Amino acid sequence: MGKYLVKSLLQMIPVLLLISLIVFVLVRVTGDPVALMLPESATEADRATLTRELGLDLPLYQQYGIFLTNAIQGDFGTSFRYGESALPLVLERLPASFELAFAAMALAVVIAIPLGIWSAVKRNTFIDIFISGISVLGKAMPNFWMGIMLILLFSVMLGWFPVSGRGGLTHLILPAITLGVSLAAQMTRLIRSNMLEILNQDYIRTARSKGIFELFVIGKHAFRNGLIPVVTIMSLQFTSLIGGTLITETVFAWPGLGQLLVSAVNTHDMAIVQAAVFVIAIFVILMNILTDLVYRLLDPRIKYS
Amino acid sequence: MKSGLIKTFAALLAAALVVTGCGGGGATTSTDTGTTAAAPAASDGTLTIANGTDIESFDPQNNNNTASEAILVNVFDYLLKNDNEGNKVPALATSWEQTADNVWQFKLRDDVKFHNGDPFTAADVKYTFERLATDEALKQHSYFKTIEEVRAVDDYTAEFVTTGPDPLLLNRLSKMGAGILPSKYIEENGIDAFLKSPIGTGAYKFKSWAKDDRVVLEKNDEYFDGAPKWDEVVFRVVPEASTRVSELLTGGVDIVSGVPSTDIERIEQTENLSVETTPIKRVLQMIVRQTEGTPTADPKVREAIDLAIDKKAIVDSIAGGNGVLTRTSVTPGNFGSDESLYEQSLYDLEKAKALLQEAGYGDKGPELSLSSSSQYKEYAEVVSAMLTAAGFTVNLDILEPSAFSEKMTSKTFGELYMIGIGNSMNDASNNYNRFLASEAAGETDYNNAEVEDLLQSALVNMDEASRTDEYKKVQQILAEERPAIYLFQMKGVYGVNASVDFSPRQDEMFYAQEITPAQ
Repeated sequence: MGKYLVKSLLQMIPVLLLISLIVFVLVRVTGDPVALMLPESATEADRATLTRELGLDLPLYQQYGIFLTNAIQGDFGTSFRYGESALPLVLERLPASFELAFAAMALAVVIAIPLGIWSAVKRNTFIDIFISGISVLGKAMPNFWMGIMLILLFSVMLGWFPVSGRGGLTHLILPAITLGVSLAAQMTRLIRSNMLEILNQDYIRTARSKGIFELFVIGKHAFRNGLIPVVTIMSLQFTSLIGGTLITETVFAWPGLGQLLVSAVNTHDMAIVQAAVFVIAIFVILMNILTDLVYRLLDPRIKYS
Repeated sequence: MKSGLIKTFAALLAAALVVTGCGGGGATTSTDTGTTAAAPAASDGTLTIANGTDIESFDPQNNNNTASEAILVNVFDYLLKNDNEGNKVPALATSWEQTADNVWQFKLRDDVKFHNGDPFTAADVKYTFERLATDEALKQHSYFKTIEEVRAVDDYTAEFVTTGPDPLLLNRLSKMGAGILPSKYIEENGIDAFLKSPIGTGAYKFKSWAKDDRVVLEKNDEYFDGAPKWDEVVFRVVPEASTRVSELLTGGVDIVSGVPSTDIERIEQTENLSVETTPIKRVLQMIVRQTEGTPTADPKVREAIDLAIDKKAIVDSIAGGNGVLTRTSVTPGNFGSDESLYEQSLYDLEKAKALLQEAGYGDKGPELSLSSSSQYKEYAEVVSAMLTAAGFTVNLDILEPSAFSEKMTSKTFGELYMIGIGNSMNDASNNYNRFLASEAAGETDYNNAEVEDLLQSALVNMDEASRTDEYKKVQQILAEERPAIYLFQMKGVYGVNASVDFSPRQDEMFYAQEITPAQ
């Protein structure tokens, strides 16, 4: 286990280097930030001056060398837009992103586990078809539309929750539902199909034949084994929730990482894009390692070499 | 089984109706009944304004968007400022005079303090403008590089020396970037410390800034120009327009900017809310390439393009009526405006077709490429359809804003590109830099010796009357030669709660001192 961890962490280094190179090149070949930083009436001489000031006139390999040397020391450069150091700007967004991602994930788990199991146990009954139908609906509703509808219903009409912004628990509920519902729908479907497969296995029949209480058969024998794909999907979804909740963040004016990253891409704020991609990459790698460890807990037969 | 399926389908349908029905109800309640009352906005001494974008920085010299300046004007004062008609009125300077061709003297107020208690003096003026003029990395540098030196004659007299005669100096000193910085505070603590805890002389002091969320300002009781009207002013960032409108409907905010035309009726039909509009200094236009060998090198083709576009229909349909037709980009309130071209528009589809015939095109007109940022997508699509109706074949090229800017600055556009150009200098020169031969080369390739002479002369002409004439002449020639075809002057559209008195400004600034609690 210890060896596995060390190996995984060492593997991060080439991965991060490769990511840094790809992001560095992509950000530079897709456009020139100077054009966006100056007014429409700026002259060519003005643009040339600013390009020189920002060091963007140097050859690419030289720029990459400077970037890498500084990045190793935790300095991803200065944001063109904010005129501040990029990494702290990225890190200060993480709490908002984590808060929303955790809330959405928790909501999804609370909805999906009972519904998925219930649906599998009541296979082909009205309940099963109804839950499946609701899941399809949940998955099919675009976040954007759903967010606006939730605002209109719960904030404008009923006045139960604030419309937007980040604050206390009441601010969190609508965006968490918006994000959590499609996730819950996806997980419900997954849990149902896993449970169906497992409930047909011989050992379940054996357990039942021994006269074990049905809830125990489902909870202990079936559900635990059905969890591995669910953990995979949770880990994948959680990482995408951290950096990819732009639409929900935009609708609810939630100041998270997704919003920062997309506005940085739009304004060619290279330092922010690089720092944010780096932070997200590290997070994804760590989540993958954590997922592997959870597999081990769920299924002791899994060995790491 | 069959009946089971039918029941299930019915249940699903019912569930779908519940979901969509709820949404529909929310959307229509205020529209259809017309009697919904908005919650009264907070009247606890806090003014809350929601904008679509955040400020870039609390360094007024390193910003380049109007949304930033609109907020920063509450923290940093200018030496002089524009009233809503575009006249220069005193602010930190009490009076000014030109003492030589390139020298201006400003008398400063002696009763002003920065938010940390330091007195405001000529040393701050010197520091502010010499930083702007010399630090080439600042986004506002290009507007201030004509300033050669600022002399602190005494504590309350500052003398500006420009590199040559500069008829625009007063415009520069009253625009974005010219907010006075505290020299002593920055020299002692460094610019980073200043950015974390910025201070100015304005009516409101910095309290907090959570990026992409909100800027909070609190009143400055020591303000030299009357007591602040609000204890706190909060500028929220709400990127999605419909969410901003919902905030207004629920009383979460007092004022929202950038109301989409589709939401205007909804706001107007809600009690306690109103929509306020004003023309702003941004004109939507198409820049037209005249490069030899392109179809638009032919003046008849350019005229046909202009005549084929029904600008009034565009304003009425897409902009919800919020636009003013114009044949010049120098709108009233800007120096040099030629009002004979304002509120004017040409549209004659049959003549456009005839012009194409005259230009040697048969039934099939020339092929044009029209690029636009996705920001103006709908406008570009409608213009494209109108040009197609006149016989043109239009290749529409809608780009993401950053890709658009890249293409614009690299001058790689085809025949036409659409852009909304503002005028933070309040002066015709700001509109016409791009038609100077050196700048136009490779872009429009517009080159008219008379226009060049007039523009070059106006850049250094200190006589207001003859300078106005020069720009008027330029506008008449450009309206004829069409290196740009103007669609309309945009309007700022705001939703306002009845608890505040707010008249939007042409320059889109939010001076909290001008916004008052309703009586």
